[in-house]
Amino acid sequence: MAGKSDLSRSKRKHKGGEEPVNKRARSASSDDYESESESDGEVDDRHSKILLLENEVLESRKHYNNIATLIGLAQKGDAQDAEVAVFAAVSLCRVFIRLLAAGSLTRKKGASEKEETVVRWLRERLSEYRRVLTSMLQQEEAALTALTLSMRLLKAEAQYLHGAGEYSFPGVSFSEFITGLVRPEVDDSVRAEFIEKFVDEFDDIRFYTFRTLREILSESSASTLGDDTVINIFDFLTSIEGVPDASEELNFYIDPPTKKTHPLRTLSQHKKQAQEAWMALMRLGLNKPQKKKVLEIMATSIAPWFTKPELLMDFLTDCYNEGGSVSLLALSGVFFLIQERNLDYPLFYNKLYSLLDADLLHSKHRSRFFRLLDTFLASSHLPAVLVASFVKRLARLALNAPPSAIVAIVPWMYNILKKHPLCTFMIHRVPRTKEEKAEIEAEGLADPFLPDETDPMETRAIESCLWEIVQLQSHYHPNVATIAKIISEQFTKQVYNLEDFLDHSYQSLIEAEMHKEVKKPPVVEFMIPKRIFTSAEPGSEEKNSLLVDLWDFSPQP
Amino acid sequence: MAGSQLKRLKASLRDQGIIGPQQSKKQKRKQAEDLKGRNDKRLQRSAVLENIREQFNPFQFKTNARGPKFDVTTNKPASNKAGFIKGRPGLSKAIGEQQRRETLLVEMERRNKVGGIIDRRFGEDDPNMTPEEKALQRFTLEKQRLHKKRSMFDLEDDDDAGISLTHFGKKLDLDGEPIADDFDEDDLPSGDESDSDAERKRLKRQRWETVAEEAEEKDNEEPERKKTKKEVMEEVIAKSKHHKYERQAAKEEDEELRVELDKDLSDVRNLLFSRWKPGQEDKDPNQKPLIPGLDKSALEKEYDVRLRQMIQDQRAKPAMRTKTEEEIAEKAAEKLKELEEKRLKRMRGEEVSDDEEESEDEKKSKKKGKFAAEDEVMEDEEEDEFGLGAGIKMRPTAAELGFDDEDDFIIDDDLVAGSDAELDVDSDDDMSSIASDDGAVEGGDDDDDDFSKYLAEVDQKEQKDRVIRQANNMSTEKDRDGVPYTFSCPETFDELVATLATIPMAKVPTVIQRIRALYHPKLAASNKEKMAHFSRALIEYIGHISRDDVDYAVVETLVRHVHSLAKTYPIEIANEYRQILIDVSLSEDKSKPFMLDAGLLVHLTAIGTIFPTSDHFHQVVTPAMLVIGRYLGQGVPTSLGHYATGAYLSILALQFQQLSKRYVPELINFCLDTICALAPEKIASNPAFFHMFEPPQGCRIRNCQDKTPRKLNYKDTKCSQHKSDPDVQKLSILQTTLSILKAAAETWSGKSAFTETFQPALPVISHLLSPSCRPHLPQTLVTALTQTSSYLSHALRAAHLSRRNLELHHHKPLAIKTAIPKFEDSFDPDKHYDPDRERAELAKLKAEHKREKKGAMRELRKDARFLARENLQKKKIVDEAYEKKYRRIVAEIQSTEGKESNDYEREKEARKRSNKRRG
Repeated sequence: MAGKSDLSRSKRKHKGGEEPVNKRARSASSDDYESESESDGEVDDRHSKILLLENEVLESRKHYNNIATLIGLAQKGDAQDAEVAVFAAVSLCRVFIRLLAAGSLTRKKGASEKEETVVRWLRERLSEYRRVLTSMLQQEEAALTALTLSMRLLKAEAQYLHGAGEYSFPGVSFSEFITGLVRPEVDDSVRAEFIEKFVDEFDDIRFYTFRTLREILSESSASTLGDDTVINIFDFLTSIEGVPDASEELNFYIDPPTKKTHPLRTLSQHKKQAQEAWMALMRLGLNKPQKKKVLEIMATSIAPWFTKPELLMDFLTDCYNEGGSVSLLALSGVFFLIQERNLDYPLFYNKLYSLLDADLLHSKHRSRFFRLLDTFLASSHLPAVLVASFVKRLARLALNAPPSAIVAIVPWMYNILKKHPLCTFMIHRVPRTKEEKAEIEAEGLADPFLPDETDPMETRAIESCLWEIVQLQSHYHPNVATIAKIISEQFTKQVYNLEDFLDHSYQSLIEAEMHKEVKKPPVVEFMIPKRIFTSAEPGSEEKNSLLVDLWDFSPQP
Repeated sequence: MAGSQLKRLKASLRDQGIIGPQQSKKQKRKQAEDLKGRNDKRLQRSAVLENIREQFNPFQFKTNARGPKFDVTTNKPASNKAGFIKGRPGLSKAIGEQQRRETLLVEMERRNKVGGIIDRRFGEDDPNMTPEEKALQRFTLEKQRLHKKRSMFDLEDDDDAGISLTHFGKKLDLDGEPIADDFDEDDLPSGDESDSDAERKRLKRQRWETVAEEAEEKDNEEPERKKTKKEVMEEVIAKSKHHKYERQAAKEEDEELRVELDKDLSDVRNLLFSRWKPGQEDKDPNQKPLIPGLDKSALEKEYDVRLRQMIQDQRAKPAMRTKTEEEIAEKAAEKLKELEEKRLKRMRGEEVSDDEEESEDEKKSKKKGKFAAEDEVMEDEEEDEFGLGAGIKMRPTAAELGFDDEDDFIIDDDLVAGSDAELDVDSDDDMSSIASDDGAVEGGDDDDDDFSKYLAEVDQKEQKDRVIRQANNMSTEKDRDGVPYTFSCPETFDELVATLATIPMAKVPTVIQRIRALYHPKLAASNKEKMAHFSRALIEYIGHISRDDVDYAVVETLVRHVHSLAKTYPIEIANEYRQILIDVSLSEDKSKPFMLDAGLLVHLTAIGTIFPTSDHFHQVVTPAMLVIGRYLGQGVPTSLGHYATGAYLSILALQFQQLSKRYVPELINFCLDTICALAPEKIASNPAFFHMFEPPQGCRIRNCQDKTPRKLNYKDTKCSQHKSDPDVQKLSILQTTLSILKAAAETWSGKSAFTETFQPALPVISHLLSPSCRPHLPQTLVTALTQTSSYLSHALRAAHLSRRNLELHHHKPLAIKTAIPKFEDSFDPDKHYDPDRERAELAKLKAEHKREKKGAMRELRKDARFLARENLQKKKIVDEAYEKKYRRIVAEIQSTEGKESNDYEREKEARKRSNKRRG
């Protein structure tokens, strides 16, 4: 009884529109059915029919066939009348819970063959009903009711199906339910509801959810699951938050097992389930955007679940080796493992050097990368040749970089040059002999830097000069130009705080400029030009501007 | 010295002659006689005694225990005790005690007592002041107090209501007639020095008596009565009236005197003028008596005439010399040079000092000031003729220099205005507006310049028309083209659009010109603001019309109008442009910065011409450059229109940097990306470090051998597809991009990283010339490609030759911090040599604090001891009194009891005896 009222209450919560149905359902479930049935005259025929069927089932075993009829109604309903289907499903739920509570679905020892057949038949109907519910999850209006009903049923099953006292989680039906839930047809809101109401609330549900997800993921491959499902599972996993802190505070949906050592009662087992679920997802062979997504939340959402972060090694190294932005994102994870877990990554700096490609400075992960790069090259024990390669490469990149990137690069270079005085040859190199000087005078100078060399120890960058930065001293943006000039001034400042320069963009630069008010009248060009768009008369002395030369301003036909 | 203290004392007293053997009477008398100054002797005696006392009390001084150190090193005589007496503890103790007695003791006695009268009279309890000093001080204080309180409108400011010195109740007047001094009295023989005391005393007594008698008389006559307030006020009013009357009388007197003097003036004048007329000299003496009456009117007339002449004289100073053409040209060249210097300064990012500009302004205003007088004169004559520039008949000199400083045209205008009555006078530099400067600029070849020609036409027409209009006072007149002459000033964009709605596009500049003339700030106070709004509206209008196909000659004229307005309203116009840039770049819509329409392109172009683009920093140009850079660097290409817009912006960016040659990284990036995107085949790999976007579908050039590229135009920048052949558009974009690349290479030819910047272009171009791409391109483009390629490789070779190693750090090396301690010549271990000045000061302060604390504590302890002593003394007195009383009582009791006991004893004895007797 309590279960029923509970159910109808939760139902009302989701579907305000079904108020009268609920009332009826509750009143119908009350004991004096006769008096109620009289007032059913004005109620919809079908509803009363469903109620009648339900009551008949509860009255005697003779009418068990009504269950099949009800399932048929619930199934059929999804096509024509959602309301009827929902009503049928609700009443079926009541029926099954009653039956479960009465032990009608439990095999008893010494039962006759006839009884066995009945039990088998009922179990078949129950699983059929579950399938109906799972399919109902895909319908928008019925989904939330179906979700609640499923969970109700799950609880009843866990309690009664295998006899009281013994803990058993109905794993099969739960995995069926979860599989249905992660289908791409199911709306996101249903999953969100499930997570909010059950997963975040009850630790055992979360435990089994992780386990089920892992099973789903390990049984199939990415191709069989389909992109949408993988993304659903990913979102599903991501949105499960709240790593449990202490085993005492666990909260259970179904009466917990009494045994203290049961995996449900230990914290590490909970974490392990999550870890395995994530691992299963990573082993799946994700595509690039999926990998990026995983890497982006690695530190915040995934890592806390992991008791053994070493397990991430394979995934991270794979990502790091992939190149491009995935590498950038994996970098921090790899670094963590190198630093904390003694991961041996051969040719780490070579790999790092290869990350400095044309897209780096235009990437939105630029500042993230720079923070890490600063850490990697912070050691003063690194060979100057290697550091020089990084400096020179970044200088090259800066030639085509947006101002916000240049602003970050130059102070970084200053810090590096300060730390590795050997590298200052790149900004100050006096020819040693007269012959050398004469040779340069006569033949000019080629840049000894080898831009295509992948090994940072072999690039000969240290023999080169930072002409690029000198060129940037005449950058069009005044602030960038001023910052670039620090390279050619005396190195009196100890160190620049890189954080001040990292997070800039065109937007922030323009904003910074535009938020200032114009107080001083701006300088106005003194001469009013004779021509702006029109070209000079042929034969006259004046020269056309570049714009007029290259653009057609004549009236278009 | 041997002997006891007493003996020694006696000896020294004897030595000094204070005591001696009994002297005979004779001796005494003699001594008294020969020592005139007995006083002297007495003084001497006391000094000697003091000395002896000091000598015999060694604890009165604090000295070095073992005498002075190193006697030989000082030049003070060793006997001089004062040299090494370090303190007089007895004396200081006594002083301290005295002070405490004066302050602390008083306070102690006053403790726990309430009330009492405190005498606050000045110097009352100061024993150091003589009564005379006290009185003097009190008097001055009183005076000062009264003096300060005196109000400005006090009616009685002459007579002192306050106190004054009195003498025996009579007022002592310090300023007025002095009371007859004692010495001036008649009965005293003046100048007699030897007035004996007796006589003076007698006189004094006499005077006192008389004064007393007088006082008595007065008392008898009218007893002193206090005046009522009303009486006082009446008195005051009467007094002030009296004063007023007196002043008037004095004035009248003065007047009379003056009139009298005036009568004689003509004589004086005659005398004065006669000097310059020597011929009339002999006449004058005869006429002299007649002149005052007869010639007065004639004289006045003459005087007036002379006065006027004198005024004229001042006015008729030599005017500024008309400048020769060479001089004007020279001046113009100078001005240009100065401007260029300023521009260079700004380009280097140095501060252009404000005072420099100010002085410039001052100069300008001075310049104006010189002509102001003339302007005023002219304005009187042709008040209604407000300036529309001087039109076309200007001198071509400045024009030849390509110099259109508006200020200088004013000069020209004014100079002409003096001679040519037809021309208006521009009283303001802004007023010379476009017409005038254009007229000046194009004056030489006016026939072939549309702009100036038609402006000039308009001017003349308008001038004529205005005369007519003035005649019949019509305001709705229209000219031949149906353009009205007067408008209400449009202050918003909508108003402006409404105003210009009916006017053909070609006539819009005329209308703008007329509005500017009609609402010139000189004509009304409110016009300044109106024109400011108008200029903002105009900018918006320009953007509006350029969104569609438009005649760029018209836009150009309008932009030049804005430019001319910007000289007057720099802040407003800068703000308007900044607002446009803000709208584009800081809007919510993230795609907006990459969807630049033709209107914005025109705006950016206008910014480039109106404001100096070479400045290191400029409030408008810098953000504009950022907007351009953002588009070029971050815009994801979606269509061919994007590339065309980018090409336009690249050209603009390059044009912005023509003078300052600043490097724009995005430009190279964009150009190379565009070429790669348009290439018939995808380039295998990124040949260098430039950033490539994924090109949109169908933008590659395919099979265009037979098509010819053209120049790009605004239509190409539109994102939507239009009728014109996209293939031609692609080819045009490619060709333009190549030209931009070439122009960029020219602009940045001297840059230090020229090689690194342009090297990547070579593989890209060679990719286009490779067998896989070449067949798709028309011959003209192939030629352009090879030309660009060869130009670039040539430039790169030159760059290679001129490249040198960087030598940036020829700075003076930084000094290494020294660790050698500084050697102090005159080291004093007591002194602190702290190199850190702050620390040294702190230590000093701490030491002072410690010292002060010590002193204060010592003083407090002494105070406490003093108080305890005093308390003890008091207690002792009380106790003593008590003890005395106690003893007395005890004694009393004892005596009585003693008597009783005696009686008892006696009685007892008597009984015993009687018993014995009995027994």
